[in-house]
Amino acid sequence: MKVVVPVKQVVVLDDEFELLPDGSGVDPDGIESELNEWDTFSLEAALQLRDAAGDGEVVAITVGDEDAEEGLLAALAKGADRGVRVWHDELQGADALAVARVLAGAVGRESPDLVLCGVQSSDAINSATGIALAGFLSLPHVAVVTGIASDGSALTVERELEGGLVELVRVSLPALLTIQTGINEPRYATLRAIKQARDKPMEVCSPADLGIDSAQLAASIGARRRRLAMPDRGGGAEIIEGSAADVAARIATIVKERMD
Amino acid sequence: MARDPKHDILFEPIQIGPKTLKNRFYQVPHCIGAGSEKPGFQAYHRGMKAEGGWAACCTEYCSIHPESDDTSRVSARIWDEGDVRNLAAMCDRLHEFGALAGIELWYGGPHAPCMESRATPRGPSQIASDFELNIFPRYMDKDDINTVQQMYVDAALRARDAGFDIIYVYGAHAYLPFQFLSPFYNRRTDEYGGSFENRARFWRESLYKVREAVGDDCAIASRFAVDHLLGSTSIQVGEDGARFVEYCDDLVDLWDLTVGDIAEWGQNAGPSRFFEENHEKPYTGQIKAGNHTNKPVVGVGRITNPDTMVAIIKSGQFDIIGAARPSISDPFLPKKIEEGRLDDIRECIGCNQCISRWEIGGPPMVCTQNATAGEEYRRGWHPEVFHPAANREKSVLVVGAGPAGMECAMVLGKRQMAAVHLIDASREIGGSVNWISQLGHSDGKENLFRGTARGLGEWKRVVNYRQIQLDKLKNVELHTGSRLSADDVLEYGAEIVIVATGCHFATDGMNAATHAPIPGADTSLDWQMTPDEVVLGSKPVGQRVLVLENEAYFMGVSIAQKLAGEGRDVTLVTQAADVADYMHYTLEAPMLHRDLHRLGVDIHTYTMLDRIEPGVCHAYNVWNPAHTHEFEVDTVVLCTARISDDELYRELKADQERLTAEGIEGLYVIGDASAPRMIVDSIFDGHRLAREIDSPNPAMPLPFIRERRLWGDASNEDFRAQLLNTPDVALA
Repeated sequence: MKVVVPVKQVVVLDDEFELLPDGSGVDPDGIESELNEWDTFSLEAALQLRDAAGDGEVVAITVGDEDAEEGLLAALAKGADRGVRVWHDELQGADALAVARVLAGAVGRESPDLVLCGVQSSDAINSATGIALAGFLSLPHVAVVTGIASDGSALTVERELEGGLVELVRVSLPALLTIQTGINEPRYATLRAIKQARDKPMEVCSPADLGIDSAQLAASIGARRRRLAMPDRGGGAEIIEGSAADVAARIATIVKERMD
Repeated sequence: MARDPKHDILFEPIQIGPKTLKNRFYQVPHCIGAGSEKPGFQAYHRGMKAEGGWAACCTEYCSIHPESDDTSRVSARIWDEGDVRNLAAMCDRLHEFGALAGIELWYGGPHAPCMESRATPRGPSQIASDFELNIFPRYMDKDDINTVQQMYVDAALRARDAGFDIIYVYGAHAYLPFQFLSPFYNRRTDEYGGSFENRARFWRESLYKVREAVGDDCAIASRFAVDHLLGSTSIQVGEDGARFVEYCDDLVDLWDLTVGDIAEWGQNAGPSRFFEENHEKPYTGQIKAGNHTNKPVVGVGRITNPDTMVAIIKSGQFDIIGAARPSISDPFLPKKIEEGRLDDIRECIGCNQCISRWEIGGPPMVCTQNATAGEEYRRGWHPEVFHPAANREKSVLVVGAGPAGMECAMVLGKRQMAAVHLIDASREIGGSVNWISQLGHSDGKENLFRGTARGLGEWKRVVNYRQIQLDKLKNVELHTGSRLSADDVLEYGAEIVIVATGCHFATDGMNAATHAPIPGADTSLDWQMTPDEVVLGSKPVGQRVLVLENEAYFMGVSIAQKLAGEGRDVTLVTQAADVADYMHYTLEAPMLHRDLHRLGVDIHTYTMLDRIEPGVCHAYNVWNPAHTHEFEVDTVVLCTARISDDELYRELKADQERLTAEGIEGLYVIGDASAPRMIVDSIFDGHRLAREIDSPNPAMPLPFIRERRLWGDASNEDFRAQLLNTPDVALA
């Protein structure tokens, strides 16, 4: 079984980060990045399907600059067979649709049996790339998958719904699934596998190499981020002091005002 | 990062007499095992704290004369010019970092057994020590009083010469000045006994004379137990406690307040299993609250939380935050608060291992949280500085994330090894600490003297600190829920492999007392179990339980506490003179015994099991095996030997050829997997290996600097002349 796994290197934001002065993004200084958590689950699912099938290939594909190679290497260390990185400076700030358009070129070239995406990336949280990719490739797709069983030509997949309901979906191959965290237990790479990952095939190409020109790319962009900003802190808060009766009276007044 | 403005008050200077403390962090006098005879240890241990931002550091109790000799426990001494020279090294080191040096002048009375000097201690009344075995003081007449007070003065002058800034007249913990003050010790009928003023006279005169001698140059401090915790038979804070502070307030520049005495000083150095942070507040807090002093006050209570510190100062409890154990656990506590690095603070867990080594008498102090404590000079270890390893291009696999493995991986990470993978079979890192930290609760309801059976929850700080540090290290990867076979390890791709797989309890009653299994002992049966099985709840426990305690530390008694607290009838059996002998050293024993007694645990000492049969344990007295006893039981808990889980290490080590073929250059075993031990020693073991991973043979510890007198070298070339001057040799 040949499975393609699009992955993304995401930034890790803890308490300590700053926005760029123009608000176009997060200041990259001192920011760490890592493989998107959802993608570790989709990768693991792909590896398990390949290993269960006994033959086939797992190809990890990313759209990103050189720094994104770290995420591809992590995927290769865990067991992916090949890596493909697509980049051009035009892609700086590309939205989910533009990324999906580029991925469609790279994935389409592979003619895989299955494409496994993460449900979302932890930094942008659009949950759009995977489904858009299915659209570009005209593949049947199932979103937010929590279980996969394969019989070779078709899959039976589970989706978790509200109230603990489980929906079973039968989907024929080729298909695209977006994978939810917790579906499996992602493996980790040994030191040897990490070292050997550097010897695995890694192709670097541009959108043009995939037959996507600037005009097509521009046409695929759905939205552009204008500005990131911190929410105002503590705005509108009022500290009510005094006795319990005073506090209660004040709260009652506020509630009445708001209801009017 | 900068410090949080809410902590600013901790960094405001404060005047004490002629000296200024640069901030509110103060290392109160505490023992370390250095004294005056290991000047390097003394200077570099205290100096580390000065580097870490403490405004002042003090010696441990410092004997003023050979008449106050605490051998085998190690005190400092300022008996002669040699001691001045050695203690001056500490003063100089502190001054380099802008910290003040304090010295705690000590005369023990009957609490000092004088086993080295063979002198006779003097005391207010001839009543034997309640701390020492069979030590009586000589009654002090007026001449004796003058003589001893002159000892204080002479010692104070020497201390000033050595460079000390703060000079204590130490009375807390029921040493001589307190013995005069307390009717528990003082039965005199002269002007030094009877009324409050008479009982306070010796201390007041001593303070006065010391102040006259050195008060212009040095701050005068006194350490005072505001409440002896013995009720109306001795000093109570609401009575003579507050009164004494008022009475001598004009003679001190700093009050260092405590509670209790030396006989049960765990009431002061409260272990976490019974006492929470700032536990002395109900007593020491009354002094400033009641406006009994106009002088700065320092006090303790295992205070590690900067918010607690701020609250203590703002509420007027103390002016200065005192610390002994928190300063050992993290010498850089002030600096980390100042730099806003609160998650880097290595909080004291209140296990009192530091104290245990002083109580044993002789060994250097140790610390569970800070493996570098006591190693600052002799091994040159720094708690915050890690030199890049010479072989840092190597990658390391550490198997097992218990105390030894966590510490080892953390230090290797800080030493910038290329990659460190820490793997554990369990879902969480921490190893045995994860279940051990659930021990020690009873029902938690009853007040035991002052504290409650809070349990060992704070011991989890061992894991929390290391988890946070490991997460910060980019070259360290942590993987849990993964059990590695020998093949997995061989094929892992590491150049250095460190096995830290821990240990397990014997399942057959194998024990240190008889060096043999106990017939009938078998924890594969559902009514027999090991301590971890009790905590993890993997087997049902019956109503009548016998706990066999052959381990001598916390395990057996903690299981007994737990099960008795749950309402079971518990019989606790040990071959030793007492259960949990080591807990006397950690000062946990008195409170522990109160709890066991309250819970109705039936304790049988000098008792061993001959054999175990369904429903009955056959026991005998170790001094007379014919003296037997049968215990009818439903459940038996075997807290006997622990056995290393070293199969992985042995299997790897046996195949040297394969190790070489796979590129593994170093294979080491640490912690309980090497030999079962206390957590403090497991952490040390992991730390030691990581510190020396680039030494010629990391498996063998490097030699450490030994501070001992060298015979006949330049400092000792007159050894024969000294001997010839003794009268008998001169005659012969």
